[in-house]
Amino acid sequence: MLLSDVATLLVNSFTWAMATFLVAAGLTLVFGTLHILNFSHGGFFMIGAYVAFSLASALGGSDSIAVYLFGALAAGVAIALLGLVVDRLVLRRLAGVEDAYVLIATYALLLVCEGATKLVWGLKYQSVMPPPSLDGAWALGSVVVPRLSLFIIAAGVAVYVALEVFLNRTRSGRLVKAIAADPWMARLLGVNVRLVYTATVAIGFALAGLAGGLLVANQTLSPTLASAFVIYAFGVIIVGGMGSISGAFFGSILLGLIDAIGQWLLPGLPGLPFFVAMTLILLLRPQGLMGHAQ
Amino acid sequence: MGHLHRRRVLQYGAAAASALALPGLTRAQGGPLKIGLITPLSGAQEFIGSYVRNGAEIAVAQLNNAGGILGRQVALEIRDDKANPAAALAAARELLGAGINLHIGGISSAVVLALAPVMQQEKGIFITCGAGTEKMNHEAYSPNLFRPGDSPDARGRAQARLMAEKYPNVTRWTGLIPDHEYGRTTWSIFVDGLLEFYPAIAKKKPEILDPVLMPYGVSDYRNAVTAALRQQADGCYNSTYGGDAITMFQQARGFGLMQRYKVICDSANEFLVARGLKQQLPAQWTGMHYYAAANKGNAMSDRFVADYLAKTKDPEPLGWAAEAHAAMYALAKAIEKGKSTDTAAVIGNLKGLTWDTVTGPRYMRPEDNQAVKDVELVFIEPANTEKGYAVSQYVKVDGKLVILPPAPGQKLKLRTA
Amino acid sequence: MTHTSFFGGSTRRDFLVLLVMMLLGALVPSLLNRGLIFIAGLVWINAVFGLAFNLLFGLAGVLSFGQAMFFAAGAYAAAALMQQLGMPFVPALLLAGAVGALLAGAVGAVALRRSEGVYFAILTLAFAEMLHLLVANIGFLGKNDGLSGLARPVLTLPGMPGVGLDLTQGDRFYYFIVAACGGMIALIRWVVSTPFGRALQALKQDPQRAEFLGIPVRLHRLAIFVFAGTMTALAGALVAPWAQIVTPELAHWSNSTNPILYTLLGGSAYFWGPVLGAVLLSAVFYVTRTLAGISDLATGLLLLGVVLALPGGVLSLLDRWTGRPKDGERPQ
Repeated sequence: MLLSDVATLLVNSFTWAMATFLVAAGLTLVFGTLHILNFSHGGFFMIGAYVAFSLASALGGSDSIAVYLFGALAAGVAIALLGLVVDRLVLRRLAGVEDAYVLIATYALLLVCEGATKLVWGLKYQSVMPPPSLDGAWALGSVVVPRLSLFIIAAGVAVYVALEVFLNRTRSGRLVKAIAADPWMARLLGVNVRLVYTATVAIGFALAGLAGGLLVANQTLSPTLASAFVIYAFGVIIVGGMGSISGAFFGSILLGLIDAIGQWLLPGLPGLPFFVAMTLILLLRPQGLMGHAQ
Repeated sequence: MGHLHRRRVLQYGAAAASALALPGLTRAQGGPLKIGLITPLSGAQEFIGSYVRNGAEIAVAQLNNAGGILGRQVALEIRDDKANPAAALAAARELLGAGINLHIGGISSAVVLALAPVMQQEKGIFITCGAGTEKMNHEAYSPNLFRPGDSPDARGRAQARLMAEKYPNVTRWTGLIPDHEYGRTTWSIFVDGLLEFYPAIAKKKPEILDPVLMPYGVSDYRNAVTAALRQQADGCYNSTYGGDAITMFQQARGFGLMQRYKVICDSANEFLVARGLKQQLPAQWTGMHYYAAANKGNAMSDRFVADYLAKTKDPEPLGWAAEAHAAMYALAKAIEKGKSTDTAAVIGNLKGLTWDTVTGPRYMRPEDNQAVKDVELVFIEPANTEKGYAVSQYVKVDGKLVILPPAPGQKLKLRTA
Repeated sequence: MTHTSFFGGSTRRDFLVLLVMMLLGALVPSLLNRGLIFIAGLVWINAVFGLAFNLLFGLAGVLSFGQAMFFAAGAYAAAALMQQLGMPFVPALLLAGAVGALLAGAVGAVALRRSEGVYFAILTLAFAEMLHLLVANIGFLGKNDGLSGLARPVLTLPGMPGVGLDLTQGDRFYYFIVAACGGMIALIRWVVSTPFGRALQALKQDPQRAEFLGIPVRLHRLAIFVFAGTMTALAGALVAPWAQIVTPELAHWSNSTNPILYTLLGGSAYFWGPVLGAVLLSAVFYVTRTLAGISDLATGLLLLGVVLALPGGVLSLLDRWTGRPKDGERPQ
């Protein structure tokens, strides 16, 4: 394989990895803090994408990166608000409930998301064109690098850095980590755990919506969008270590590379290397690459 | 199709042995003529299924306005098959058990293949409104199944023939095909057509490159796109469909893949991809079960378009609606001809039937229950309008020139490079 | 995490209930329309699917997200053996069960060794997805079209070719399903009542204490995992001649959620919970079958409602009404 082919493979695989990380970030954050595996996360990602789509349509198309980013941020805010409602109505009631029930409840929530999306936006396939500055590609020698790919990679890295800074260098962020590690102690120390939980949920959902808006030009919009990412996002956060943002980040890069190499070597069995790798990693290190041993 | 299955499978176990039993209805001789419509009305194929339903309902309304069939008003018994064989089987058995022997619908190939044995056992008839499997009139042939629309070999070879006629200098062809049965078969059929028609019409030998296999049901096609970039092809045959095709085109756009081809020929997306992509659409030929503008002047077609607009506010009924419409009219004519709704009689009268449809007259081959009809192909381009796209050419290819001879019970045999 | 204890009920009462169910089941073809008969057959199969899942979840406290792999393995094994190799039905059925057992043994040996709880669940999900990918991409398993045109069997006795039970006509195979599933349910119920079953309940409550008491926890979990996998594969194998088609969707992860739904709807703390859940869910889908499109929303809201308002499942309502205590063992 030529060097340029390898470079292309790397770029494509990072693009996929960052797209998956964008979706997985909120999921792993919520699990790490509230120990709720939110099956409906993909559903809110989808709604975020549709919100960004509606905004783009209302504004006559996303003419510039600024408008595109604005759409993504608006989607993030909208879904965060939705998340607060969901927290009130559903997630709070799931505290202390068995994992299986939580999973089924959030799965049911996913169905509700899909049904609601169909009712509001209909069944047609839609798409959003990237703004002109993100269209097209750069040619680096014989390697073609689409601008949208670079944007997605940049977005993923930016979100990662922002989350790491928030969790490790701000007071509120460290509070979230502390509560994730030991809520009982945190309560003893007078921390309003309930408030932090709610805030974390809001951030998790905001991340889902933001991911939806950032990735809206990456694939088709349809009410089945939720299921497309869910299982890969799950795999990535498990491999990375549930609750660890860094784990999700590096886990997605690792799995993205494995999947890309697998596609090249074994085109007849798409996706198999991903699950094989996921299984092997879990067997060798059940808590994930950066998770804490239970 | 990974992520599309979830919905279907959720409903894999259906109903209950409860007292909500439907009483076994005996066939009412004087009452309405019930015809079953089994089509996806939820799940991934809901969108296409809704066209089938609308087309069928319009046909029924038109028939009833004209006095019905054999003097009886027609009523549709509609069931959702969720594009899932188990749900389709349950629906079919329910309707068959209630005395309904005539059915139309079924877009999913798996559904059609699943229904074949049941229809044969229970003496029912099923007319598909757009299933694309070649097995239906080949190794899985059953006398109780009918296809009133394009057979996949007619469609693919018509497209190849058109390419040979209009683009005689485009001889290096590749394919972007989903890595499953349907994808591989459509490509093989297209190649068969290239191998026959380029030497015959363009007087050149085509060069067939290895097609690029696309994963399906995923959300990232970049690696497949870059694999396609490495090829030096002039013509591209695309048989990815629906949402996958849109995602693929979106991601290919960044790489400029589609601009490299002199012509793109799409297998069967009708306007689905065009409506989804709008201005992003790369200009391409695509096959349609039915294109309204190509049939202006055909009284039945004009009436169909008008009725469709009145019913759904949609000015552009996609092909599947026309297929349902044609299926209903085929049934009507076969029943009238034999003055009977009995399965054996209707089968006998559907075989060899010539009947009028919105695309003109069609002929149902008696050997394999496959219709011979003109294949409609259109050239779509992006446009700076609200709609986003426009049709700049359309062509009708005579079906008789391209359809392969009947071979019921045998696998489809094709030329290879 | 709160653990619910598992209600065995009295063995004798449960066998009586099973008998009544089988009798009622046998009446179905004379009372209901063909579509409902088909669905009833699927309900019996799904009931076994759910019960096998609850052996793991309710009885032994092991949550598996990958039971669809055994269901699909059984279905495909039976289909391939009958269609490609021409094997008669009963041997194919038994072999399909053996395939399920082997698969469960392999997966269980690997997965149970290293993980528990949610991690184990996700691992089973990954294994199931691998099987799904394999099944959808292998040529002789029909790739994504699956294997169709499967025939209903004629049961024969080895060495007596003239004598046979023709199950190809009408819905006769339904009776075989009732008999086979009834037998499997009886077997499952019996296992629950054995010392092995009681040991599983103990190790669900407190694995450490169970280990101290001399119960080999991992071995027991592996054993029940293999048993559940076998039952699931046998249930899946019955689908092959019933629906006469097997497709890769049987192995998709959403089919793994089906037994979880049945169990939670009915109540995981009760032996009959999964059966009731299978019946109820099927009823809901049947009743809403003509209300196309809203079903997603309706199903989701219904499930949400049940989980939030009735976490013990429908059978826990019965408990409330009859004033029985929620936890605790009943005498066998």
